Amino acid sequence: MAETTFGNATQVLEPFRGIKKVTLEEYFTSGHRTCQGCESALVMKLMVKAAGPRTIVLGSTGCMYVANTTYYTTPWVVPWMHTQLGSSGSAALGTAAGLKALMRKGKMKAEPINVIAFCGDGGGADMGLGAISATLTHKEYNSLILLYDNESYANTDIQLSGMTPYGAHTTFSPPGKVHRLIHKRWKKNVAGLMAAGHPECRYVATVCASYAVEMMNKVRRALTIGGPTFIHSLDPCPKGWDYDPMLSHELGELAIETGIFPLYEVEDGVVKYYGKTKAIVEGRPRKPVRDYLLKQGRFAHFTEEDLAYFQEKVDQQWEQWEIPGVVPFRKLDAAQAALNVK
Amino acid sequence: MSALICEVVYRGIFQKNLAARIVRGIVLSARKSERWGIAFGRYGDSPQRNGIPAKDFAIVADTKEELEQNMARYEPKHVDVTICVDDTLSKGVESWAWYGLQPINRLTVPNGTVLMTSLQPFDALLKDIHKKDAPYKLSLIRAKASFSGLWVYKEDHTEVRILGALAKIAPSFLTLDAVAEAIKEMEWGSELKVASARKAFDRMETREVKITEGNPEVPYAFQMPKWWEMREGVTIPAIPIGKPKEGGQGYVPERNPYFKKFSTRTMRPVIDFDTCVKCNLCWIACPDSVFDVMPDGTFDANMEACCGCGVCEAVCPVEDCITMVNESAFDDNASQWEAWRKDKAGYKTWLGAKIGDKKTTVRSHGFRFRGQYDEEIKHDLDSGGVEITAGIPGENADRKTV
Amino acid sequence: MATVTTTKAASEDKELLISGSEAVAESLTLADIDVVTAYPIRPYDTVMQAIAKKIANGQLVAEYIVAEGEHSQFEIVKHASTVGARVFCGSSGVGWMYAMECLVVTPPLRVPMVCLVGNRALDDPGAFGVEHNDALVVRDLGWMLCWIDTSQEALDTTLIAYRVAEDRRIFLPLAISADGAFLTHSQAITMVPPKEKVDRFLPRYDRGDLLLHPDNPITVAPQANEDWVIEIRRQNDEAMKRAVGVIEEAYADFRRIFGRGPENPWFEEYMADDAEVILIGMGTISLPIKVAIREMRAKGKKVGLIRLRWFRPFPFERLVKALSGAKAIGVIDRDYSFGSPFHSGVVANEIRASLYNADKRPPLLSFICGLGGREVTLEDVNKAVDMCDAAARSGKSDAKTHWLGVRE
Repeated sequence: MAETTFGNATQVLEPFRGIKKVTLEEYFTSGHRTCQGCESALVMKLMVKAAGPRTIVLGSTGCMYVANTTYYTTPWVVPWMHTQLGSSGSAALGTAAGLKALMRKGKMKAEPINVIAFCGDGGGADMGLGAISATLTHKEYNSLILLYDNESYANTDIQLSGMTPYGAHTTFSPPGKVHRLIHKRWKKNVAGLMAAGHPECRYVATVCASYAVEMMNKVRRALTIGGPTFIHSLDPCPKGWDYDPMLSHELGELAIETGIFPLYEVEDGVVKYYGKTKAIVEGRPRKPVRDYLLKQGRFAHFTEEDLAYFQEKVDQQWEQWEIPGVVPFRKLDAAQAALNVK
Repeated sequence: MSALICEVVYRGIFQKNLAARIVRGIVLSARKSERWGIAFGRYGDSPQRNGIPAKDFAIVADTKEELEQNMARYEPKHVDVTICVDDTLSKGVESWAWYGLQPINRLTVPNGTVLMTSLQPFDALLKDIHKKDAPYKLSLIRAKASFSGLWVYKEDHTEVRILGALAKIAPSFLTLDAVAEAIKEMEWGSELKVASARKAFDRMETREVKITEGNPEVPYAFQMPKWWEMREGVTIPAIPIGKPKEGGQGYVPERNPYFKKFSTRTMRPVIDFDTCVKCNLCWIACPDSVFDVMPDGTFDANMEACCGCGVCEAVCPVEDCITMVNESAFDDNASQWEAWRKDKAGYKTWLGAKIGDKKTTVRSHGFRFRGQYDEEIKHDLDSGGVEITAGIPGENADRKTV
Repeated sequence: MATVTTTKAASEDKELLISGSEAVAESLTLADIDVVTAYPIRPYDTVMQAIAKKIANGQLVAEYIVAEGEHSQFEIVKHASTVGARVFCGSSGVGWMYAMECLVVTPPLRVPMVCLVGNRALDDPGAFGVEHNDALVVRDLGWMLCWIDTSQEALDTTLIAYRVAEDRRIFLPLAISADGAFLTHSQAITMVPPKEKVDRFLPRYDRGDLLLHPDNPITVAPQANEDWVIEIRRQNDEAMKRAVGVIEEAYADFRRIFGRGPENPWFEEYMADDAEVILIGMGTISLPIKVAIREMRAKGKKVGLIRLRWFRPFPFERLVKALSGAKAIGVIDRDYSFGSPFHSGVVANEIRASLYNADKRPPLLSFICGLGGREVTLEDVNKAVDMCDAAARSGKSDAKTHWLGVRE
């Protein structure tokens, strides 16, 4: 057990040292009704594999509720409960508070129990942002909020969310005869937002299940550190992104290799890149975004101009941001900076 | 006074747009001869998932009143024509846990028709299609399953070929001329498509199926509990924890006993246990926790749980160690590892035969790059027709290109 | 029929001058609640202020979470309850509406959450005064609903509420409604019982087979389609029906242990036995009505009051019995239901429906009064009784709904 500042014991979950050391136990098995090649289902599996048996999982409405856990088709070995679309933050907080109260009043056997609440990009980055933000300030309760981001309201048949990439085809942004691009917003930088805005949240990370062991180790780190923590996972979605389900793994890799989705963790205020993102930070060239975009039917309507715009935005993120892909404060050149000082 | 009720059984998402076009086409064709109709999807199938079986319906009737009479239920309980656009569905359909496995011909009326797109011979299909207690007709259009995704449609004329064949099955509702006229008027129609429909009308093959024919297996069923038998608080028991294999080695997760998901599968992984390097990648990357860990450190894909996504093949670093093979090449869900353990040489031969047939290993399960579907269709035409469409294999399997 | 009133028991009580909100806080301390969530909105928030003091002073050990909105406020306690914590929450007016999604899910999940609704007019316009429409929106959803009238009743009902809601036969959420201002903000002499007696009355909350814990692995609220939902609704229907017996049991035990409390849990009957005109209302409206009745009785008019305590489950059988001797009934709603039958308030139509199969159906007049916290005056009550008198004489209901105290 590890003691946190507030005396909340957490489970000490050492990182898995390589794929061969990963536990064989499954706490999320088959039985779910998700798509062939569903990366988010894989995220669920890895998330609880990393967390272990003394875990309670709360799932807000979305694909990982409706497809993943329908009546009598549960895949969960650990206790699992639905929560409302915008409630992942409240579910984590309420469950953790209930356990804490009962344990400190001697009404329940005291032990560290992991509390994980997950949400999709709609539930987490759109509707539930406020509740998550609140939970990340309650440092006396241990909980992990995991946002699985498949970049649309995928359950309800692929509607645009605040996390849908620029220009993508969704049922709310169909390319038409007059307007090729309906969706022109750039997606939110949620992990950065959480890390920058919640000084007492000790751990925020981005993950991709294509890098399974690293992904699990970020979950283990978050649960070990304790207090409220946040993980943002990018999940390729064969249904909404329109690609052969076999390529889920590959598209996850491409999202990282093109620099569109950087992998990093912020622990106690220190940013650390890892995996292929670290290599990019250290100078390895990024793959062009077209290698990623043109493999997906949702970008099939893109022109060269659209591809160039997308590339330019990603370049900006790497070349002009204070911390690539994390903190969107623009660097000033020396001359401008000098002017500002005056 | 009469009505024609059709169902289209298809793969969720992969064939969503295809099925919608077929049922719309049925109604609009029948409208050409002053009939009334309705086209709809089974509400319970929505939202659809890639591969999970789904259904659309089309009902056409002589009068509006008769149409209403057939609409006054949640979904048809019997159909005149069952249209199935992926022949791997002939093994049965499991949409939800509590529906059990439903034979493809379950709703087909006595002497009705099951119309399928398939490259398989009749007898091979009848090994899969469950026996029925009434005779019916099995009609085939020679074509492989047409798969695409939500946004980019594969224009391989499957929808119009079904309509052309249907004109032969139910000419009193849809004449071939009416079908042709309707196709021309539809926003996705063309003269070329009209020609395809007429060809299908001519080329459709039909065979009577007797009650003695078909797969004798009794599909598994689920008894739905009464309200007072259900647990309160909308709760169901969790899945129990798994166990090691023999001698405390390996690991087999417990699986949901009510929903097996294998009817979602269109291809299955075939594993070469002799070349497996025990890297664990297939096991860790499987979204359905399909891989049982064997005592020797290899991995056996559980065929009741596998939905056939192919991610395992994509991540496997060894050539031909995991190969996705079309589901039609198999007759059961038996363990490959047990077969290998019993007879290694025999297994090697079996494996060679399964993965050596390009017709069953070629993949066409949706978008891989812009222009892919056009290339595929061009390839079909170049190779002398649309009968066999070559798919584009994964990056990891370039060698499989036809 | 046990009306035990041992003076010894009463003498163990502590006498405090407290408001309805403070009385609820006393009960919550005695019930040793585990998790409570607060968010400010008048008038209910006075109870949260009272609890905060209890916690700050060490009288109560509980997780006190200030949420970032009512939606979260109710979700947090919902989840705390599923892991076995005794919880408390509350709201008023549009705050209660903001939590609506979370109020809807608690009955099917069988979460025995206890709440205080400080009744308040719904926006717009923003107004603090009492109207019952806020609490009433949950009347069809599987929430148990009751109205209280005094600080003492606030204290007693809160203890009864936990006992009933957390009964395994029920496991349904329960909202105690208290009229804004009149009850939440006025102080009255209240008897607070000792903890030892409360422990005898109120067992520990045992979530049992529904506990969300690694030792009891279950999947809660998986998504369900048309093959399951009606069965789940039927289960809730049964739980609400069972609540009738459990509520009667709880009041009987309460009287046995605490030596006070009503014999009839469902409604208070004030001079109703021999009344020719019976007025019906909920909450603190009883005060002006009782005063008016006393004046009328002095003049020889046989008028009585039925003050409904429980609205869900609705005591329709007992009400029919109690109303069978009346010559006319006047229902005074402190709520509205625009476009409803006869354009009446909610309570009037519930009573009309209850009487439909009765052998004797006295004329029923419907009144809407005191909206937005407007004072219900003796004149209003007298006017209502006069109209009821006329109906009693003619033996006919009128088809109108009369608004009292509105400028015309």
